[in-house]
Amino acid sequence: MRYLRLLFTFWQTSLAARMEYRTAFVTAFLEAGLEAAGKVFGVYLFYASGYDLGGWRWQEALLVLGLASLIDSFFIGVFNPNLRRISEMVQQGTLDFVLLKPVSSQFWMSTQEFAAVGLPFLLVSLGLIAYAAAAVGLSAGGWLLLALGAAAALLLAYAVAFLFATTSIWFVKVFNVVYFLNTIVWTGQYPVQAYSRPFRLFMTFVLPVYFMTTAPAEVALARLGPGWLVVLFAVALAALLLSRAFWRFALRFYASASS
Amino acid sequence: MRWVWRKARTLVTVYFAYMLEYRGEILFWMLSGITPFFFMSAWSQAAGRGLTAYSAVTYARYFFAVFLARQLAIVWVHWNLSEDVRSGKLSFRLLQPLDPLWFYLADHLGERGVRLPMLAVVGLVFAWLYPHALAWPGAGRVALGTVAVTLAFGVNFFASYAVGLLSFWLEDATEIYNLWYVATLFFSGMLAPLGLYPQAVRSAIAWTPFPYLIYLPAALWSGLEVDWRRGLLALLLWNVFFLVLARRLWRAGRRHFSAMGA
Repeated sequence: MRYLRLLFTFWQTSLAARMEYRTAFVTAFLEAGLEAAGKVFGVYLFYASGYDLGGWRWQEALLVLGLASLIDSFFIGVFNPNLRRISEMVQQGTLDFVLLKPVSSQFWMSTQEFAAVGLPFLLVSLGLIAYAAAAVGLSAGGWLLLALGAAAALLLAYAVAFLFATTSIWFVKVFNVVYFLNTIVWTGQYPVQAYSRPFRLFMTFVLPVYFMTTAPAEVALARLGPGWLVVLFAVALAALLLSRAFWRFALRFYASASS
Repeated sequence: MRWVWRKARTLVTVYFAYMLEYRGEILFWMLSGITPFFFMSAWSQAAGRGLTAYSAVTYARYFFAVFLARQLAIVWVHWNLSEDVRSGKLSFRLLQPLDPLWFYLADHLGERGVRLPMLAVVGLVFAWLYPHALAWPGAGRVALGTVAVTLAFGVNFFASYAVGLLSFWLEDATEIYNLWYVATLFFSGMLAPLGLYPQAVRSAIAWTPFPYLIYLPAALWSGLEVDWRRGLLALLLWNVFFLVLARRLWRAGRRHFSAMGA
């Protein structure tokens, strides 16, 4: 409860601060629309040439694209602005102040900022998902599975992003790692079946993009049984626990400004 | 003329040394540019089923060239300007008897010095994984492609510079540059060779800079058909356009600048 209240306060403050930058917000709307159109165009190019991305109908492929855009919008709105601060705070030594606070430092580092420019992207991605899901004629149960699958995907994406960002305790100037992840999610905008085998393996076992976009779509479309939802959450939970353990481990190496 | 050379060399070496500090960042930044290889994999799968006009080997060559062309023409000067105007650091630059444009340009050139060896490593890995895709496109094509990528860098740089100067009036101009960036992602041939784009789209973008920023050098290097005369002309014209625009904005913006001490 306390954490929910904190979250609310954090986001209210950062929204208020970002309202200073109104033109940026308006531009972001334009950008979100343009980007979604471009991504749909990218999928269209494959279908226009007759390639079905490894056995997906056009609307089904759009569902995968929508999920990738959803995760992308969380990167823009939440993950990027927060996680890049880890490296800033290590550089300036201000991480001390966070560690002194009586809340989980991981929670603090992951939630303090909320970039309003992520909102347009979120809305566009939800629109895309809704359109694709309606076009494939998803049942009520399918919608529920989709929502749960997307939740697991977001948890996993967060955990992996945090895991990568934690390395800045050692390397300090590496906030580009978060952008690196961001573009890796980009590769998940097409179903993994579209790629050749080595790429597929990479996307499943090295950087688990498969579990973020393709797998939730497969569960919702009943290509995989509902039991796979458990697998999705198990993977997300494992990644979360790992990111927590890794953060604690990394903090042992943090030479603070005062010590 | 000697002093120009000396100044230029000093500036570029200073920024090269500075950028060496950031090698970790540059490495990850470069790795975030590997998406073309994923497109390569998907299009090669399509080619494997005999569905598209190009062969899998052509896609391998093309997307490697796309990767290179993107990496060589990367810019971030809009971000520098935004930052310097907002924080007032621009005041210090104005005190120096050299147009700030040269500092930013040297910053970019110095960074290329750090990025090039890393690109060479990616090239070696690619050659090891796809030995059958190796081919020498011919000296003429290599030279023309290099000219094209240099001009493309110019267009990117001056466009980014012009957008960055908007921060004299707006609080945050970087978001506006993202529009340009997004248009580049989709209309420059990064998704697929432009030959696969619908004719309507191709003629709509024919005189915009986008198809020449990546497709022109990549097609030249990978041996695809391309109207390079028109491409180079378009790039040249867009260079002039954005350069003039940037200079005008600079003159107007400097008067508008009201940081501490200015």
